[in-house]
Amino acid sequence: MTKLESAADLGKLRKQILSRIDPKKPCITICSGTGCQASGCEKISAAFQEELKNQKLSDKVDVRRTGCHGFCEKGPIVIIYPEEICYLQVKPEDASEVVSQTIKGGKIVDRLLYADAATGKRIAHESDIPFYKNQKRLILDNNRKIDPKSIDDYIALNGYSALAKTLSGLSPKQVLDEVKKANLRGRGGAGFPAGRKWETTRNAPGDVKYVIVNCDEGDPGAYMDRSLMEGNPHLVIEGLIIGAYAIGSHEGFIYVRQEYPLAVENTELAIKKAEEYGLLGKNILGSGFDFKITIHRGAGAFVSGESSALMCAIEGKVGEPRPKYVHSSVKGVWDRPSNLNNVETWATVPFIINNGADWFNGIGTKGSKGTKIFSLVGKVNNTGLVEVPMGMALRDIIEKIGGGIPNGKKFKAVQTGGPSGGCIPEKFLDLPVDFDELAQAGSMMGSGGMIIMDEDTCMVDTAKYFANFLADESCGKCVPCREGLKQICKILDKISTGKGKEDDIKDLEDLAEVLRDASLCSLGQTAANPVLSTLRYFRGEYEAHIRGECPAKVCKALITYYIDPEKCRACGLCLKNCPVGAVSGKKGAVHIIDQGKCIKCGACFDVCPEKFDAVARISGRPVPKAVPPGTEIKKRG
Amino acid sequence: MEKSKSKFVGVRITDEQASILSRLQKDSKLSKTEILLKGLSVLDEFYALGLDHKPLSDELSALEKEAFHYATELRRVRKREEAISEMVQELHEIDKIVDKYHCEKSALIQILLEIQANTHWLPKHALMWVSERLDVPMSQIRQITTFYKAFHLKPRGEHLVRVCLGTACHVRGGPRILEYTERALGIKAGETTENMKFTLESVNCLGCCALGPVIVVDNDYHGRLSTSQIEKILSSYT
Repeated sequence: MTKLESAADLGKLRKQILSRIDPKKPCITICSGTGCQASGCEKISAAFQEELKNQKLSDKVDVRRTGCHGFCEKGPIVIIYPEEICYLQVKPEDASEVVSQTIKGGKIVDRLLYADAATGKRIAHESDIPFYKNQKRLILDNNRKIDPKSIDDYIALNGYSALAKTLSGLSPKQVLDEVKKANLRGRGGAGFPAGRKWETTRNAPGDVKYVIVNCDEGDPGAYMDRSLMEGNPHLVIEGLIIGAYAIGSHEGFIYVRQEYPLAVENTELAIKKAEEYGLLGKNILGSGFDFKITIHRGAGAFVSGESSALMCAIEGKVGEPRPKYVHSSVKGVWDRPSNLNNVETWATVPFIINNGADWFNGIGTKGSKGTKIFSLVGKVNNTGLVEVPMGMALRDIIEKIGGGIPNGKKFKAVQTGGPSGGCIPEKFLDLPVDFDELAQAGSMMGSGGMIIMDEDTCMVDTAKYFANFLADESCGKCVPCREGLKQICKILDKISTGKGKEDDIKDLEDLAEVLRDASLCSLGQTAANPVLSTLRYFRGEYEAHIRGECPAKVCKALITYYIDPEKCRACGLCLKNCPVGAVSGKKGAVHIIDQGKCIKCGACFDVCPEKFDAVARISGRPVPKAVPPGTEIKKRG
Repeated sequence: MEKSKSKFVGVRITDEQASILSRLQKDSKLSKTEILLKGLSVLDEFYALGLDHKPLSDELSALEKEAFHYATELRRVRKREEAISEMVQELHEIDKIVDKYHCEKSALIQILLEIQANTHWLPKHALMWVSERLDVPMSQIRQITTFYKAFHLKPRGEHLVRVCLGTACHVRGGPRILEYTERALGIKAGETTENMKFTLESVNCLGCCALGPVIVVDNDYHGRLSTSQIEKILSSYT
């Protein structure tokens, strides 16, 4: 590959690539995001290759492995081009039918199509499926079209055109002004205006400046950065180069968690390819601008996602935050001005450059522009990645896109913003999702995790989960965070085991205040949010726990398993599955749980057939006395 | 008693024995080990001959005992030699990694990650070697290897079982899955079974929330789990 020496060269290359592509040639694309890999896309890909070989079609049909499509619930996803027929939950065994029916015969395999939950109607195209129909896919869109390992795929779809436009016609100041005008706010959590951050670094004294991509996505239940970095690394790289040009930086870092091996692999390859093409390195596209990127793998510490901690980690030190009397945009990596943005923020930049700030301002709400990717997970029918314009109502996201709550359960809360965010109850479901509205409701946008909880989720348990997570991840450098979280965990533990007192709630609130005001970094400052927001909206649940009842029947210490003698059919399943031998009974006799032996693992509850429904979880009221051993089961009828 | 100076396979021998040994080595061009093995097989033949002859048989069996003792010593030494050569081999590998990063101190975390990718854990000699090569104090390396979750300072089991406790898996029953797995393996999260078969870990999100609750054994994902499936899954790895 000869290096591209001008923007015109890139245009020529794009034409060349496009001329090689026959739009009518069938192509089987297989989603190879992490979710689909976990459900076996590797085998499916092999099965298709094998099948094409068997049916002598190998050179007439392309097979492409793409990034994450987002509809992880129904993975692995296979799309047949040019008709764009979308098959869901495909298995290796389906390959032969798809090839002979769809590729050869032009017929659709009905059973692999999406079935509408309400009407049962089959839907053939991705864009008609409600999950996709109600989204606005901007940044994620190309994920399903390109092979992340191929730079040509990216270039064919107008990739690096924003970079060419920037380097051939815009001054750094113009780029900066455009991003400022677009009101792009950082997608990593706090929503700080990216343009202003860039400007600070640009104006900071010093010749050497750094730009950094933060892909240390540590929020449990959030994986949008991962999907972008894995599925479309060139988009992030392009945004980073444009930003570096605006800021006047010649060296960049991409900080990726080592837990994301595929993201590391694809990004490494993307950088190598971009260097070969002359899109990275010296004199990019003949503009005289030099830029290089190094990958830094994070070694697994949640707090390292904090900007100053991340910069310490890049220096090869322990990733602990430092006080920010001087912002890292002025003194960051090796005390040099360093601009850090989230993956999604960088990925938005090429769109702003190509389409203009006015176009970008046309999407979203007054204070939050553009689209945002959320990972919609938990107790929701359609788990997956969702990209919507800012300002969409929570209810629309959960019901129209997410398809509501499974098994007819009742919605309880949605948790946004990861461990620093909060839980939002049903009464706020019509809230438009943007940075400011979520903050007002006591939560935050965070990086975009959206965890849906139903009536079976205990809010005290949820608060305890986050408090434990943060206590575990706290670096321990400052006292409020280290000791405060420990005490919060202790109190929550007391409450969830039925040993709580009325005063405990007050203590929690006091501790939360200290954490917010006195912690060194935002991990500690926001650590109490999950506790505060659950206290704000679900205080009743805390009080119930103190009285000895867990309304959601989750907290082990407050529940008892009991076999209803009226309902028991003596099938023996609970007896067989009890790991500690606490269940006794024999054929025809009511089974009994020995409460002294029971470890409350819930195995009996799980295995008791739904039609009997004999095992009950009891909380907050006395457990009925067990029937004498050998009591006969009730005759049916 | 004659003072012995030389050693043969880790055992002290007299000067006379040493000179016989070196002569034998010179004449036969065999290694010490081979001589010992030859000697043992000759002994074996003699032993067969002398079975009917009491004094000879006694003599031979005494000799055999001695030879057996040497052989055990030899094995012990061999083992130590092997361990040392393995260690040296590992240090060579580490050298390659350190050189790849041009001995840069700032690459410490990257270097440790890469070493661990090969060995699955970080033995002490590896850390000491890195400290030596990068000129970074051992205390700093200890700080880093204990701060970041990715580093392991103890050997790990043959199979790694990871139970996801991300928020999505948590609300879908992840903690109970972990409890079951702990009970099935007889260890707590973060521990390794005594037979070094399994290491159990809990993780904060694997990014495949649609499959929750999920456990990953080595690289096989087992999603949408119910507690009753766990034992079957684990037993397929033994």
